[in-house]
Amino acid sequence: MKKKFRINPIMKKDMMVGARSIKMSFAIMGINAFLTLIVLFVMATNSMVGGMSGYDYSSLSYLFLALGCVECGLLSLIVPIITSGSISGERERQTLDIMLTTPVSPFSIALGKLGSAMMVVMMYMITSIPVMAIAFVLGGMSWWALLGLFGMLLYLGVYVGSVGVFCSSVVKKSVMATILTIVIGVAIITITFVILTVGLGVKSYEATLNNANNITVGATPMIMMLNPYSPLVDFFIRTMSSYSLYDLIKETGTLSAGYSKIYQAWIPISLVLNLLVSFGFLKLAARNIAVTRNKRRK
Amino acid sequence: MLEIQNLTKRYGKFLALDNLNLHIDKGEIFGFVGPNGAGKTTTMRITCGLLKATSGTVLVDGVNAITNPEDIKRKVGYVPDFFGVYDNLKVMEYMEFYGSMYGMSKEDVDEIAEGLLELVNLSDKKDVFVDTLSRGMKQRLCVARALIHNPDLLVLDEPNSGLDPRARFEMKEVLKNLGAMGKTIIISSHILPELSEMCTSIGIMEKGHLIASGKVDEIMQKSKGSQPIHMRAIMDGYDTEEDGREFLSTLLREQPNVEKVTYTEDEVLIAFNGNDAEAANLLKGLVERNVLVSNFYREKEDLESLFLEITGGAKE
Repeated sequence: MKKKFRINPIMKKDMMVGARSIKMSFAIMGINAFLTLIVLFVMATNSMVGGMSGYDYSSLSYLFLALGCVECGLLSLIVPIITSGSISGERERQTLDIMLTTPVSPFSIALGKLGSAMMVVMMYMITSIPVMAIAFVLGGMSWWALLGLFGMLLYLGVYVGSVGVFCSSVVKKSVMATILTIVIGVAIITITFVILTVGLGVKSYEATLNNANNITVGATPMIMMLNPYSPLVDFFIRTMSSYSLYDLIKETGTLSAGYSKIYQAWIPISLVLNLLVSFGFLKLAARNIAVTRNKRRK
Repeated sequence: MLEIQNLTKRYGKFLALDNLNLHIDKGEIFGFVGPNGAGKTTTMRITCGLLKATSGTVLVDGVNAITNPEDIKRKVGYVPDFFGVYDNLKVMEYMEFYGSMYGMSKEDVDEIAEGLLELVNLSDKKDVFVDTLSRGMKQRLCVARALIHNPDLLVLDEPNSGLDPRARFEMKEVLKNLGAMGKTIIISSHILPELSEMCTSIGIMEKGHLIASGKVDEIMQKSKGSQPIHMRAIMDGYDTEEDGREFLSTLLREQPNVEKVTYTEDEVLIAFNGNDAEAANLLKGLVERNVLVSNFYREKEDLESLFLEITGGAKE
């Protein structure tokens, strides 16, 4: 018999509870108001620069970049806030124990919490389409660029959300979980960047010692594939210009054919790697949820 | 229904349960009594699959809760001591949420939930938001929620804590009805008189040990012998009050089953190790020795006295 598709009950419940909250309405209004202000600011600036000649419509395509970056930034702040109370909140209400007495697995609980956060993210994204559309109407961006951006935002939401769910399963207070999520995010970005810089610095030093004109890039930039923002950077570079991260790496030094192929596929490889990291965070969250079963109640 | 064998649980160096053995028959309402930290909640949480045991076996209807914690979840319904609410969730939605956690369809949940809400006297509240319910109503809703998947065993951890007398009465009625329906129930509570009214059997726990268990009547019968007798007598005709007391004490100590005689301000407290007929004989003997007994009654046996006595805090 064909198994009937069922929505994760925790995700369904959270969506219902969240949709009734006044906070969500205010958040949607706030995000769109902020994006609108950016559009107005860019258009006003453009008008002033254009002077008598009027708008420079082609430069309005940068609205896409500006709005895209702002949405990424907002997402990186909002998703930790949404997910920070996901497990710790259930624990505070003592509803987590009841959940754990049902057949729903700890991983399904973590997945449901991420799913409900993603639904909120999608709601924010969909409501921002009219504002984003200005960049398409006036800046001449394609619908594929918009779809690509939404795909990237969803990916970023999944990544940050799974870190948020993990942090919520580790600490008791939601505020601490939010801070921890941001700290982990910043740490990953910093560590990958530092490793890249040091790695390329060493390669450059070696090249100087060997009197070589170019450095051999090798595998060093691959560490940046673990940086959750790197596929977004590549996406924006590709959308706004004829360049890509691969071209930038190529300009840094010499590349073997094997590495070239890997760097050319930066976005899919990085997405897969980071989604695997997200999966790992969710698994760790599930383990933490299950471990609560072994703690002595005070 | 529930068979616990050599159950041990350690939290680091702390021994929460020490080789606990317990048997509860199907249809019983079993009351767990014990001071805080005795191991009641730990036993209940292991039974529900919420906690891993260090060693031992917990069989619920033949299924081992230690080795098959996932299978046990369909057999047990759990009501914790604290009822957490979800803001913006209605009573029926709350039931539907937990029904869906057991893989039940909305239609099935609605049908079963209607009956359960009626059972817990909340059928008129199904479209009301959960957080607007009183504490007593929330606790009854929690019982209905725990029954949504029709479990064989219902585990309630201090369901009456923090409830007002009316809410406690209503909860007691709900549990009595469930008992009448043949549900096996384990309930822990600090309100001992209520437990004795509701439960068919009880277990008294202390420091991880089950120090007494059995049918309520049997345990009460065992303890009956130690219920003190309160007595007042008119001791005129003695030189001093002290002489009168001395005579009465000596006389009482000569009687069978009298273990200890103590004087309070205005009465004699007799630690008496005998049944009601032997107590009547004691009174008869005193009257025959011309003691003018003005008041003679045996302290009513209750679970609280029994609990204090067994756990070493017996009333002096």
